[in-house]
Amino acid sequence: MIAGASSWLSRKKWILAGIGVPVLVAAWWAFRPEKLWINKQVSEPAPFASSSDSQPLYTGLLMGKAHPTSGRASIYQVGDGKRDLRLTDFTTSNGPDVHVLLAQSSDQNLTKEFVKGDLDGVELGLLKANQGDQNYDLPDSVDLGKYDAVVIYCERFHAVFGVAKLERF
Amino acid sequence: MVREIKLALALAAIVAVLGLQSSTYAQDSAKQQAKTLETGTFHGKVHQTSGRATIYREENGKLVLRLTNFKTSNGPDVHVILIAAKDADDDANFLKSDTGRVELGKLKGNEGDQNYEIPADTDLAKFQTVSIYCERFNANFGAAPLQKF
Repeated sequence: MIAGASSWLSRKKWILAGIGVPVLVAAWWAFRPEKLWINKQVSEPAPFASSSDSQPLYTGLLMGKAHPTSGRASIYQVGDGKRDLRLTDFTTSNGPDVHVLLAQSSDQNLTKEFVKGDLDGVELGLLKANQGDQNYDLPDSVDLGKYDAVVIYCERFHAVFGVAKLERF
Repeated sequence: MVREIKLALALAAIVAVLGLQSSTYAQDSAKQQAKTLETGTFHGKVHQTSGRATIYREENGKLVLRLTNFKTSNGPDVHVILIAAKDADDDANFLKSDTGRVELGKLKGNEGDQNYEIPADTDLAKFQTVSIYCERFNANFGAAPLQKF
């Protein structure tokens, strides 16, 4: 009697194991939970390495603020430690005394009208034209980790025409 | 005197030829550079995904997708695809059966720089978003909407 009960119990165990193990294996195969902790790292080189050409370091899209502004702002390494800002597909409205600045994207000044002296930023010069591709030299010492926004700024009216948040290329 | 002038002319000619050669060479290497066509950054909240996706046209005309500063969560059966949409949600089951897609291959690694060949006949004006796509769960790990560079 006791022997019969225990053999029934052990049969039940086997049936449970017979169902449970494949279910567990299937669940493991489907979810692969260990991948939550195991990373797979690759580092392929660019297939067209040409270190002599200027390389983009940062890029971002211009967003219009006070005036419709669009296009792309990119920072290039142009060799010998020199960097420049290049605007492409660029359009903004024309205006008096419009400047190109670098600023911190988190700066609250950029959300409103501000006087240039209040801004922690870097002057890159007068806007050369309100349309078209154009380049601006960057001073050697500019920390692009800090100044991560390109600002099109009308000094006469203290207006932000457009801002581009730069992100690593 | 005449002899000296001749010598100077000959030297000038040699210098000119050398100069021409070096400038020809420089032009060649400039022509070989790949062209950056489009770029965008990844967003993905459910499975933290970040980094940049850039499409290049190589000098031989081949299209290449390159991921840089890339990071996503590891997972089973993860693929890189281009989808015919302006952007993609982070939700699971984001990909409707009628959404056009181009398969670029299995994700080579969940971290690091990596390249994927794009089929030559791909219409980049139509396929505007890169998706890191878990095929087993029809889930979008992360998406990068591409914009003209």
